[in-house]
This record gives sequence, C-alpha cells and structure tokens, in this order.
Amino acid sequence: MSFLHINNVHKRFGETHVLKGIDIAIEQGDFLVLVGPSGCGKSTLLNMIAGLDSISEGELLLDGRCINDLHPSRRDIAMVFQSYALYPSMTVAGNIGFGLEMRKVPRKERREAVDRVARLLQIENLLERKPGQLSGGQRQRVAMGRALVRDPQLFLFDEPLSNLDAKLRVDMRTEIKQLHQRLGTTIVYVTHDQIEAMTLASRIAVMRGGELQQLGTPQAVYDDPNNLFVAGFMGSPSMNLVKARIVEQSGLPVAQVATDGATLTLPIVRDRDALRGWCDRDVILGLRPEAITDPASANHGEGNIHEAELPVALVEPTGADLYVVTSLGGTNVNARMRPGTPLRAGERTRFAFDVSRMVVFDPESEQRIRDAYTADVASLEATA
Amino acid sequence: MSVAPPTVRRGIATRALLYAILLVFAVIYLMPLYVMLTTSFKTLEEIHQGNMLALPVDWTLAPWREAWGSACIGLECNGVHGYFFNSIKIVVPAVLISGLLGAFNGYVLTKWKFRGHKIVFGLILFSCFIPFQIILLPMARVLGILHLANSTWGLVLVHIVYGIGFTTLFFRNFYASFPDELVRAAQLDGAGFFVIFFRILLPASIPIIVVTIIWQFTNVWNDFLFGVSFASGDSAPITVALNNLVNSSTGVKAYNVNMAAAMVAAVPTLIVYILAGKYFLRGLMSGSVKG
Repeated sequence: MSFLHINNVHKRFGETHVLKGIDIAIEQGDFLVLVGPSGCGKSTLLNMIAGLDSISEGELLLDGRCINDLHPSRRDIAMVFQSYALYPSMTVAGNIGFGLEMRKVPRKERREAVDRVARLLQIENLLERKPGQLSGGQRQRVAMGRALVRDPQLFLFDEPLSNLDAKLRVDMRTEIKQLHQRLGTTIVYVTHDQIEAMTLASRIAVMRGGELQQLGTPQAVYDDPNNLFVAGFMGSPSMNLVKARIVEQSGLPVAQVATDGATLTLPIVRDRDALRGWCDRDVILGLRPEAITDPASANHGEGNIHEAELPVALVEPTGADLYVVTSLGGTNVNARMRPGTPLRAGERTRFAFDVSRMVVFDPESEQRIRDAYTADVASLEATA
Repeated sequence: MSVAPPTVRRGIATRALLYAILLVFAVIYLMPLYVMLTTSFKTLEEIHQGNMLALPVDWTLAPWREAWGSACIGLECNGVHGYFFNSIKIVVPAVLISGLLGAFNGYVLTKWKFRGHKIVFGLILFSCFIPFQIILLPMARVLGILHLANSTWGLVLVHIVYGIGFTTLFFRNFYASFPDELVRAAQLDGAGFFVIFFRILLPASIPIIVVTIIWQFTNVWNDFLFGVSFASGDSAPITVALNNLVNSSTGVKAYNVNMAAAMVAAVPTLIVYILAGKYFLRGLMSGSVKG
C-alpha cells in the first residue's frame, strides 16, 4: 500500500471536466512534483489533496485512510502557498504558531516548537516582526516554517518559488531540497517550471489538459518520454523533434531524415522491434541536444555514435556550451558541442548522433513507439 | 537659473490663479462656521448692533452654558444636553452593530460565496438607493408592532437597518481584494468561520473600519427626518432638539444661544473627522487600488 494514493480522481466545475481520472501513487519520503503548463489542473489537484476543493469522483488515500470527506485541518497536511499567505496582522512567531494555537497546544510547547523551526530555517531574529517588514525570501521561509511546525504527514507546495527573483529562486530551491533530504518528509509540489521539477523531484507527474501524461523518476521522464508533449515540455533547450521516415535496410529498420544536402540515414538501436512495423511510414524522431555533439565529445563508450557532415546554420555560445544549429527534416536542430569549437555559420562540420538515445513518436497519435519490454519497464518504474 | 524659462513662469502664474480660486471657495465655505462661532460668543446686545462679521468685543460663555443647560425646548427648560446624550445613545450602538453586520456580510459575500451571492449583494446594495421618505410609513408601522415607537432603541433599529447597505458595500469591496489564500491557509491551520474573521480579517481591516465609522457616525448623528418622525419628546436626538429650540423661542430670538446649540450639535462629527480623517481617503481608495 502506497503512502499517498490518488485513485482515479476527477474534478468537474459544472460542465467543464478539469481533471479526467488521475492515478498517482507515491511512497513515504517521496518528493512528487506535479508539472505542466498553466491550466493543466495541477493546482486543482493540489487543492483537492489539501481539501480546499471538493473531489467530484475518485478517492484520495493518505497512509491507508480515505481523506475525501475530511476537513482540511483534519487531514494532517500542511501547505505552502504561492503568495505565502502570511497573516498580515500577526508577528512571524504568531504566524508560525497559529496552527498549533488552533490545535490547543499549550503556550510553552508552542513557543518551543516555533523556536525549533525558526532555528531550522535561520529566522530566529525575525520572530517579532510583521510579514510586511520581511523580504520575499524571508516570507518564503516563514511560510515554510508555518508548514513545518505542525510536523504533518504530507507537505503541499503550490508554486512556492514563482514570486522570487531568479537568483533567490535557485537558492531556495536548493534549500527546499536539503530540507527534504534532512527531514525525510513526503512532499507534493506544484510548478510550471520543468527545471524545478527535474532538480527537486523523486517522482515527476507531467500533466496536460487534466490528464496525467507520464509519471516517473526525473531521469525516466527525461530520457524515456511517453509522448511528444512530455518530450517537448521537459528539458531546456528542448528536445529536437524531427520529421523522418522509417525504411528497411538489410533487414533492419533505419530512419531517413531530409537535410539541406544528401539524405541522412540514422540506424535504429532502440525500440527496434516496435519500429519494424513502421517501415515506409513517417515518424517523428526525438533527440536531446546533448545527444548530438561534435565527434570528440560524443559518448563513445556507452552510446552508439553515428557521424554525419552537415551545414552549420547558426552558432550560439552560452559559455558552458556551444549550441550549433543545423537543419534536419525542415526544422532547426540544436546540437551541444564543446565550447571553443571553431565554427562559423555557413561552414560544414561533422555531427555525432548518439542513436542509442533516440526516441521515435507516432506523428498522428503523438505517442511514443516503443518496444513492449521498455514500455513494461517504464510502467513498472511509474508504479514502483 | 537666473531667468526662469517662459513655461515655468506660466506654470507659476497658473498655480497662483489656482490657489486664489481655491482660497475664495474656502472662505465662502468657512464663512458660516465663522459667523456661527463668533455669534455664539457674543452677547445679544452686541448681535443687535448688527455687524455679523465682527469678532466679539465682550467674549462670553453664557450662550453656551444656556444652550447646554437651561434653554427652553418646548415646555422644558433644561437645554440640549439631554438630547445630546440621546444622540450618543443612538449613534454608538447603531454604528457598532451596523458596522459589525456589514463586516460579516462582506466576509461571507467574498470568502464564503454561496449560490446567488451576487443577487443577495445586489439587493443589499439596492437599499442604499431607497430614499428616506419612502420608508417612513412602513417603518412607523414596524416600530409600532415592535413596541419601539418613540424610543431611542427604535431609532437605533432604523439606523442599523438603513446602514447595513452601505457598511456591506464598504466591507465587501475591501474584502474582495483580501487574498483568498489567507482564508485557505487559516482553514488548513484549523481555524473556523469566526476565528478566521476575528483573528485574520478584522485586524487587517482598520482602514475600512474607520471609513465605516466616519460614514455611519456622520449619517446617524446628522439625521433629522427619522428622528423627527420616530422619536418625540424626551427621546428625540439633538438634531430634532435643535430645531425645536430655534422654533420654540418666544419673543426675542436668542441667536447666540441658537448658534451655540448648533455648534454643540456639530462638534462630535467634526471631532470624529479630525481624529480619523486621514484614514478616510486611504480607506476609500483601498478597495480600488491594490496596495
């Protein structure tokens, strides 16, 4: 039995069907991130777990008990809100202790609990201040303190970093992760930022239009996406998605991609069995920028490298990397090369494709074309 | 910087003109108050000499003392002080109760929305636009049924009922911009309906509370029509007493006493406005502009 089990949960607001049967299960100590574009239903799902929105259909189980009809305050859940929602007329200490006060915890114990959390979050010197006198990062900490002090079974975070500036956001992200590792709490975290999702999560649930697209470890979601949406949403710069055609060469399926010059032929090593059935049909290839490199930086040990010479359309240095743009199948494709590679637009250079990382999608259903075996592994991972 | 450019000079000229016009209007506006104040400190003889705008030669507090304690209203000659306290007895509960009810209405209409909450708010708002005169007869009947006719408590009830429309409007608009997330956070913390209201919302409502108090205090204190219709004799508010004082003086009109009584009637609203006035504009703006 999993710790938090979201079992076929639906949400309807009148005629609109906001959540269409979500199934997610996580274990104690997991860090689940719900990620997706705005309007995908992730915040609604979080509010339903908190008890702030009602459940139209389905079941929510926390540690084996059904919490569908429990009042928010009786679910043993704490939540950190996007706007922090600090009570403006109370001091920081009052804010953190309010939940305990409502639960009739004696003053002395309350004071001790507040002090302990304040020490943990390094806000001891702010306890007598009002929220209006705090900076964004400090408010964020107080909001977390208010959740932590109650020591609940489950923490909910609703886009807690979206109101911070870029630098502080990265710092707080690290802190949240450290806190999670130190305390071993179970967290459900909502964000639209896929980098936040990748860095924080032990499980990612990618959502779109009220449906769960994929649930898995960050690496599984990144390397083994279920469909075109997940492939394009996760990762920055995003996965290159290229039109191609599967043909049979000497008994094996290969992918043919149109370029500015000769047709590029890429061997298929992954999902080969499934792709045998796709010969002479159009597909979409997915290749991460880091799977297209210069030959010297290619992963010759573990990968399966296929080289080709292609024209350079554009060079974008970022300092850490050099992104080289070329055209494949009529779309621009990003390749990640070693910085300092002497390249200029208009030249031709050799690109190394790591075809072991290539994924293939059905252009109509937008679903991944994968072997039965890997599909099993992916679904196993999702439920593990 | 020795010679100002023409645009700057024109700016100064416009500004001077502007201030001159404002000054004229201020003088026109303050003139009656000045006349009232000076007259109330003059003796009757001095008033009869005729110069209304002159300062008193012989400053005297006698008209104030008479207005407060011994002027004749109707048949009794006890001054206006009894009626002054009547007004206090009406204003304080009327303001507090209508304010509290308005605050509750605003809280429910914004944070505990129910089916049809817009219609309910619309109907409450509608009461702001009903002219006083229309409800005189039905209200008299209701007060009669409740055995509250001719009492200060009857007037309290009338002013509460009439005030709820405005106080609800004030608090609803204020709470509409109060973040819902705070209420949700408090719910998760285990706070109930009343705790959320008294611990979270109300302490953050000082500006709108001040606006409501000023508005309700001034309206109730200055009311004449309800006072004269629903209360008579000893239970009348000061506005009615002032009217009776001015009208019942026989023989020579004691202008100085009338003026002093009028000042007594006007002072409380002035004090409230002076004490709380700076919050007034701030509170009125807070619903529209996010701060």
